[in-house]
Amino acid sequence: MNPILTFIVILIGFYGLSTSDNIIKSVFCVTIIESGVILLFLNLGNFEGGAIPILNDHLVDIVDPLPQALMITTIVIGSTVTALSLMLCIKIFHHYGTVEWAEVLRREDVKS
Amino acid sequence: MSRRLFLIAMLGVLFVVFTLSMIELESLYNNYGMRYFLNEGFDDTGSRNLVTAILLDYRLFDSLFEAGILLIAVSGVIWISKHDVEEKNAQFMLDKYKTPDLFVTFSRLVYPLMLAFGFYVIINGHVSPGGGFQGGAIVATAILILYYIDGNKETNIGLIVTIEKIIYLLIILLASLSFFTRGEFFTNFFVPSANPDLKAIYLVLLNVFIGFKVALGLWTIFTAFLKEGR
Repeated sequence: MNPILTFIVILIGFYGLSTSDNIIKSVFCVTIIESGVILLFLNLGNFEGGAIPILNDHLVDIVDPLPQALMITTIVIGSTVTALSLMLCIKIFHHYGTVEWAEVLRREDVKS
Repeated sequence: MSRRLFLIAMLGVLFVVFTLSMIELESLYNNYGMRYFLNEGFDDTGSRNLVTAILLDYRLFDSLFEAGILLIAVSGVIWISKHDVEEKNAQFMLDKYKTPDLFVTFSRLVYPLMLAFGFYVIINGHVSPGGGFQGGAIVATAILILYYIDGNKETNIGLIVTIEKIIYLLIILLASLSFFTRGEFFTNFFVPSANPDLKAIYLVLLNVFIGFKVALGLWTIFTAFLKEGR
């Protein structure tokens, strides 16, 4: 896959992060950026017709296992970040009664 | 409207910068590491799955703190959600009467299969795709289905987190064991000249511990979300 496509995925995430009104949509956009980064790294050691990096008795051309090992860290950290952000969203909803950015910021102004 | 256009222009600049840096990145990349893992990986670590070999032997220091980050996130989720759980005496959000009967029946059939598949992925992490983190996620999903079968199930979060902390300590102890046999931290505790099949025992042990730790951590996150209630 072309790395340009992964850049487009990352930029779609940036665009959504900048324009979304809803806090939960912002969390999803962070997840989209993360998916783009994962695709970019998996693309590095990959080539056409490469086998999975598991050794068999017969010798085959394998893809680079190092980016795949690094990306497990990214996936685990991404899931924890998503869980924490969604829990914060629930607390914001309990406190303000809404998950819109503008609404929450306006209430913050009134309080202070 | 002008702000939207300015944003698109900024994203275009970012795209050009990314594309220019990608040319440099591709010239920097080489496959010497891949050739080393292909030639030496099995004899060094006893793992046929090279990703597991990197994750649990060459870069074990990295993986330990990856598991630690999961523990920290679980603690954070519990701490954030704690106050409401005690104040409102919240019930589980899953209502037994709203869940379709078909779903409940098939959950009962699928649940043991999912658990068995999760344990298979955990135990065979060194010869087939999978490992502790992936298998732990499958086991945690199976446990989540259990809540659909019995919605009134009581879960003691404190006990689960305590078990998770003990397992994390066991992982660090198992990883440090190599200091006494080989003189270096965070690698296989069998001597380098041992049979690769013997070295696989260490990988299976570490995979099982990491799998249980991840499953318990994700279970805690699910329970915290379910208990948030309305």
